[in-house]
Amino acid sequence: LQKNGISNGTLYKKTFIEHFEQAPMYVAVLTFLGFGVGTVFGYLRDFMRAWGLEKRNIATEREQQKDFVPLYQDFENFYTRNLYMRIRDNWNRPICSVPGPQFDLMERVTDDYNWTFRFTGRIIKNVINMGSYNYLGFAETDVNALKTVTTELQKYGTGICSTRQEMGTLDKHVELENLVAKFLGVEDAMVFGMGFATNSMNIPALVGKGCLILSDELNHTSLVLGARLSGATIRIFKHNNMQSLETLLRDAIIYGQPRSHRAWRKIIILVEGIYSMEGSIVRLPEIVSLKKKYKAYLYLDEAHSIGAVGATGRGVVEYFGMSPDDVDVLMGTFTKSFGAAGGYIAGKKELVDFLRTHSHSAVYATSMCPPVAEQIIRAMKCLMGLDGTTQGLQRVRQLGKNTRYFRRRLHEMGFIIYGNDDSPVVPLLLYMPGKIGAFARRMLQKNIGVVVVGFPATPITESRARFCVSAAHTREMLDTVLNALDELGDFLQLKYSRYSKSSHPELYEESRLELED
Amino acid sequence: VQEKEELIEEWQPEPLVPPVPKDHPALNYNVVSGPPTHIITVNGKECVNFASFNFLGLLDNEKVKSAAQASLKKYGVGTCGPRGFYGTFDVHLELEERLAKFMRTEEAIIYSYGFATIASAIPAYSKRGDIVFVDEAACFAIQKGLQASRSNIKLFKHNDMADLERLLKEQETEDQKNPRKARVTRRFIVVEGLYMNTGDICPLPELIKLKYKYKVRIFLEESLSFGVLGEHGRGVTEHFGINIDDIDLISANMENSLASIGGFCCGRSFIIDHQRLSGQGYCFSASLPPLLAAAAIEALNIMEDNPEIFQTLRSKCERIHKALQG
Repeated sequence: LQKNGISNGTLYKKTFIEHFEQAPMYVAVLTFLGFGVGTVFGYLRDFMRAWGLEKRNIATEREQQKDFVPLYQDFENFYTRNLYMRIRDNWNRPICSVPGPQFDLMERVTDDYNWTFRFTGRIIKNVINMGSYNYLGFAETDVNALKTVTTELQKYGTGICSTRQEMGTLDKHVELENLVAKFLGVEDAMVFGMGFATNSMNIPALVGKGCLILSDELNHTSLVLGARLSGATIRIFKHNNMQSLETLLRDAIIYGQPRSHRAWRKIIILVEGIYSMEGSIVRLPEIVSLKKKYKAYLYLDEAHSIGAVGATGRGVVEYFGMSPDDVDVLMGTFTKSFGAAGGYIAGKKELVDFLRTHSHSAVYATSMCPPVAEQIIRAMKCLMGLDGTTQGLQRVRQLGKNTRYFRRRLHEMGFIIYGNDDSPVVPLLLYMPGKIGAFARRMLQKNIGVVVVGFPATPITESRARFCVSAAHTREMLDTVLNALDELGDFLQLKYSRYSKSSHPELYEESRLELED
Repeated sequence: VQEKEELIEEWQPEPLVPPVPKDHPALNYNVVSGPPTHIITVNGKECVNFASFNFLGLLDNEKVKSAAQASLKKYGVGTCGPRGFYGTFDVHLELEERLAKFMRTEEAIIYSYGFATIASAIPAYSKRGDIVFVDEAACFAIQKGLQASRSNIKLFKHNDMADLERLLKEQETEDQKNPRKARVTRRFIVVEGLYMNTGDICPLPELIKLKYKYKVRIFLEESLSFGVLGEHGRGVTEHFGINIDDIDLISANMENSLASIGGFCCGRSFIIDHQRLSGQGYCFSASLPPLLAAAAIEALNIMEDNPEIFQTLRSKCERIHKALQG
């Protein structure tokens, strides 16, 4: 249990509490045992399939191409065939309504143990949605809210058919970019059509050979891909660990490039605002002071944190009370908090001008489509209060309240939750492979849709269920979910925590107030 | 220790970005006001649009817009999640089925961005140590996909089958020296149906012959030829009358003829299903907004109901080519 409170007092203006509790040893042993049993049975079934004792359900190569080099190695697919296939029905669940706080799921059944699925035609209505990234509740179909989007769609159509540097820059894009720059408090911004592509196409434009990238252990695939495509040297520091980062920085400057010992051209630190699998928030004040001391550059990916943290939803920069000038490259996506699609990069005017001319995306990739741009504009205006209401601020406050309530209750119940107390991403640890399937299926039976993740997205012993709290969730919905979790936690024995908070919440609140003095 | 502190003090990095001159040609974009259709208003002036890839003129089609409006009312704008975590809508499944049926393949998979389609498809199959033969004039998205895959790239001269055969023969002699390694090295040829950089069509029948002779798989990128070539718009395979199962993977983006956003890959289930777990742009990115998927379905409907538009497009192209060549 890590608590970093007042001891870092000068840098942090409020308490920074993160939890990464370790489960008791027997849990790790049982998890490995579970995987072991699964693997043994996997080998047995592969053997039976190879000898024709069991039917092969998987698709096979064409007759005419049987003597080509095999496309997949048998071993690569071992995990997919034998372990993932058993619990495959918990992913890719199709929905048929807006992904708001509640949605409608299409019921699907399997007759042959998850090899194929069949839709019964029935729709499961009003399933509580704890899986979609709908932090501020902008995924809505209210006619008034979508009025401007409807008119823009009628005026512009859906497609663009051109890239930014050709005929693809509409006046809508210019309006959106100015609004994003104003929202974040920076000089200029540029928007792109896809969040993933924003990272993978702009990092290569910013760094090249001879530069050094220091990237966090748990960075998202898009950051890793962008770093690899750039051709720079990549070094990884332990997750949110400032000592590890400082050691790497010192070694880099003192010893230079690996063989020639020439000085590095630039050093860039790649971090995310909120890490989506852990729920932890980046230690921004410490990183900024390190960056200033060692003259490195900072690239902050706020995919999950923009709109979700901060007093007015401006992201981790506002959460820590810092100025956006401290971060060199502010990047984020519009998919999560704004209910649209696409990404942006913001910062000083020179940076954005450079990206307008040199980014791969501006030259080769299509720009954002107009109705999506309009949705972002209206969501941002709502957040900034420019539409004349306080709805935006209310949403941010509601999200904060929901997050704190949800996390506090889960702690009290005795589950192991990772991450910072203020992050709306809540991972609940399940550990054992069998519980992944059982948890997700039983929650669906209670009409609650959750997201479970296992290996390879997480370490092999730390499978988890991940909840995304939304501002659109009401107290009743959260209570329904919490009661269901309580029952299921007892039934599946998921309450591993050895440090459950006291069940007298008034006393706990009091002591917290004292510390915040 | 004193020395180390001095080194840290002295080190000066380059500026994050080099300064861009104010008159750089690509700096000031042409701003289009209003819809980017055939008559387009650029920087305040009205012009005839010969610059967008709006081949079938579906950008301002009323039926497409009303389908998108209906979808907007039902689903809102964004999907708020990747395909694996409640981001799969029934419109996505319907679009995948329709595309597979239209192209007469077993299965299709949709990506939310055209660039990401081929750039995620290639690294899903071709890994370090595999060999890819690619045309010199391949588009940028293919180049990025190849770079991400870390395979051995062998370039052959644009549309030159003799050069490709020479490279394949060289590879064959290499294989005979090390048969054990050759048995596990996968080989691919990546070509485009209609090249964006030069405007030619690839010689597909010869490629098929080479495929079976040297046992190489073919990945065909049909961004520009989908909805343009072929009697019903099915692309370069229909143009040459080739059995579509002979091509291992067809990848296209919906941003040209279909006037939507996104991309798709189609082929046999054996090949396409693999991308559902290992296509990076598919698993780690939010899915296509449903209004764009609905627009694409409506555009497909129009393509299927009016096959004469392809003939119209072809006759107009021939007229322009003849007029320009004098």
